[in-house]
Amino acid sequence: MNNSNILSHLTGREALEARVAHRIAARLTERAEQLPSDVSERLRFAREQALERARTARAATADATVPLTAGTSAVFGRRSGWWLGLASALPPLALAAGLVLIQYWHDQAQIATAAEIDADLLSDDLPPNAYSDAGFVEFLKTPRE
Amino acid sequence: MASEKELSDFLKSVEKRAFKRTVYAVRDDDAALDIVQDSMIRLAEKYFDRPPAELPLLFQRIMSNATMDWFRRQKVRNAVVRNFSDFDSSEEDGEFDILETLEVLDDSRASESAADSVSRAQILLAIDAEVAQLPARQREAFVLRYWEELDVAETAAAMGCSEGSVKTHCSRAVHALAKALQAKGIGL
Repeated sequence: MNNSNILSHLTGREALEARVAHRIAARLTERAEQLPSDVSERLRFAREQALERARTARAATADATVPLTAGTSAVFGRRSGWWLGLASALPPLALAAGLVLIQYWHDQAQIATAAEIDADLLSDDLPPNAYSDAGFVEFLKTPRE
Repeated sequence: MASEKELSDFLKSVEKRAFKRTVYAVRDDDAALDIVQDSMIRLAEKYFDRPPAELPLLFQRIMSNATMDWFRRQKVRNAVVRNFSDFDSSEEDGEFDILETLEVLDDSRASESAADSVSRAQILLAIDAEVAQLPARQREAFVLRYWEELDVAETAAAMGCSEGSVKTHCSRAVHALAKALQAKGIGL
């Protein structure tokens, strides 16, 4: 028996097996269609339960794909990511600017006070050198009667 | 992504076969119904977003896993061992000819008498019983390949074995069934 004969023999055998198998499968299908009504009902219930779960899972997925930035998206449109970054950076920037302004205002107040003292000293009748005189300082400390 | 209708249609088309398949394996209607329900829910929850074409193979895998889980839970170790002891090569096909089981099948059931109906029901019952008696791996291969109509590669993937093993299991199953049915005088 040469190779082609063997092959054709095997193919024929497989085809025959498949033919028998499909006929048996058809009988099994016929038998499966005759399931008792309580089993059919339970299968229907199981199917409905499964579909309900699929509905829930679908809804959950849809919710998850709507990001938390949905509100900002509605306000800022598609560039919500950029705007969100800017918005989140704004508070620290405002705080830093505030601190710088407070420091500046404090320095200016100190300068103004010093200038006022200097002006008073210079415009007073008493010469500034008098304050370096120990006797005059003692005079100032002495309570007046 | 499978729509709700596609998923529903798919489940409707496989539920009865799935139930029968599971009954063959676990031999308990209630357990089989639980396994089918769990499998349907698992498919619907986790794979509802898959294309409809992928559902059959996914469902077969889920069913197989759920059945194995049931066996593990039941701790019916002997049953599992028996299911996998598919190495009985005591089939002596000798002079048996599979062709003899094939008879001309008259599908015109319109003129079927009451006696014919009873006879037909008995034949279906006998075939059902013979399939149930097959070794588990042979039965699984036969059912997936010819009843669920998966191809050899898909059947191998669902069963976690080689394509060669699938062919061997299927061939043995068909021969065993044909022989058993012929012994009972049942022609196909």
